[in-house]
Amino acid sequence: MTCQEYWNTMPELGGDGGEEAAAHVRECAPCAAALSNHGALSAGLRGVAAEWGKLKAPGRVEGALLAAFRGQAGLASPPPARRWWNPVLAWAAAAVVVAGAFLLFAGRVRQPQTPAQASAGTEASAMDWSALLPADVASDTAAGDFIPLPNADQLPQDEDLNVVRVEVPRSAMIALGYSVRADRASERVRADVLMGSDGLARAVRFLDE
Amino acid sequence: MTETPAETDDELLLRMRSGDEQAFSDLYRRRQAAIYRFALHMSGSAATAEDVIQEVFLALIRDDCGYDPERGTLAGYLFGIARKQVLRQLERRRTDVALDGDGDDAVLPQPAASADQLAILTRREGIAALRRAVQTLPPRYREVVVLCDLEEVDYTEAAFVLSCPVGTVRSRLHRARALLLEKLYQEHHPRLGALDPAGSAI
Repeated sequence: MTCQEYWNTMPELGGDGGEEAAAHVRECAPCAAALSNHGALSAGLRGVAAEWGKLKAPGRVEGALLAAFRGQAGLASPPPARRWWNPVLAWAAAAVVVAGAFLLFAGRVRQPQTPAQASAGTEASAMDWSALLPADVASDTAAGDFIPLPNADQLPQDEDLNVVRVEVPRSAMIALGYSVRADRASERVRADVLMGSDGLARAVRFLDE
Repeated sequence: MTETPAETDDELLLRMRSGDEQAFSDLYRRRQAAIYRFALHMSGSAATAEDVIQEVFLALIRDDCGYDPERGTLAGYLFGIARKQVLRQLERRRTDVALDGDGDDAVLPQPAASADQLAILTRREGIAALRRAVQTLPPRYREVVVLCDLEEVDYTEAAFVLSCPVGTVRSRLHRARALLLEKLYQEHHPRLGALDPAGSAI
């Protein structure tokens, strides 16, 4: 076996060594020295691999990729926690603004308080609003049920209730759990807002769903 | 849903394709380190390696990523994308150190480095010198050393990654190792120059 033939038996060249190769390296000092060098190199490379073996990509990469994955898969990110007072304030603000105009031009639709209504006050928070409403409003079959606004049951119920019909952007329905298409978010929809004597909105229903 | 030990890359990929975020996360955690190290060894830059790992997994996220299990493993496919990305970056930076010719099939001279010099390869400073030597190899030799010697990818998979025959992987690896020995020898004996096959300076 020549030196060239011997090196052709190296594993990376597809050779399997064997007895003939072993015999050559015993007899050929240069090949024996070169083989020793290769052994040292292999050990050194194993050292590099071990030293760098624990390296990994920074954690921020995974976060960015997960966000990209969610976007590609159409998965929504976890929604931020809803604050109960956002819809209350929004509806209250809308109601207060519209109430003044309504009272001026359409007249007040106050329902005289009766003992029955007063006792029904606590039940009103359980969505039984119809008993407290003016007859013409309560019988409006085109309208849906009143939806109590968050924290409405924390407010006093033993006062007169007024119903104010308003127009609001359809996007306001999102706060109450309705799904609204983006292209219709700016449309105006009619809504009845049930207002307490303190001017705060208690419930709302939409007439144009 | 959590990853089970028996779950293969392809099974995770299938779940991932159906929108399972946990499957993507499991796949990423299983494969990212080796791909990142490959890019780091190849580029010598942590920033580049970070860019590469992002590109690799973004490619996997895309529906038309082109992975075909009939042609090779998912790990090989990921290494392949990483390689293309790294080579593109290297081309842009043009930081390659030109060494010698390319002749893949040539059997290099076997430098007769001294025993005491090679003995230090397993010590810390020796490992650092060897790592520097790897990073100054031409890319076509560097990538086989990184894949086969540092990441222990087998020759068949390396051939898939490099899009070349297994025989080419073997010959490039043999030549790469010889180049490394020569570079280490020259680092310790700068005045002696190149070596002939018998190991004596010429």
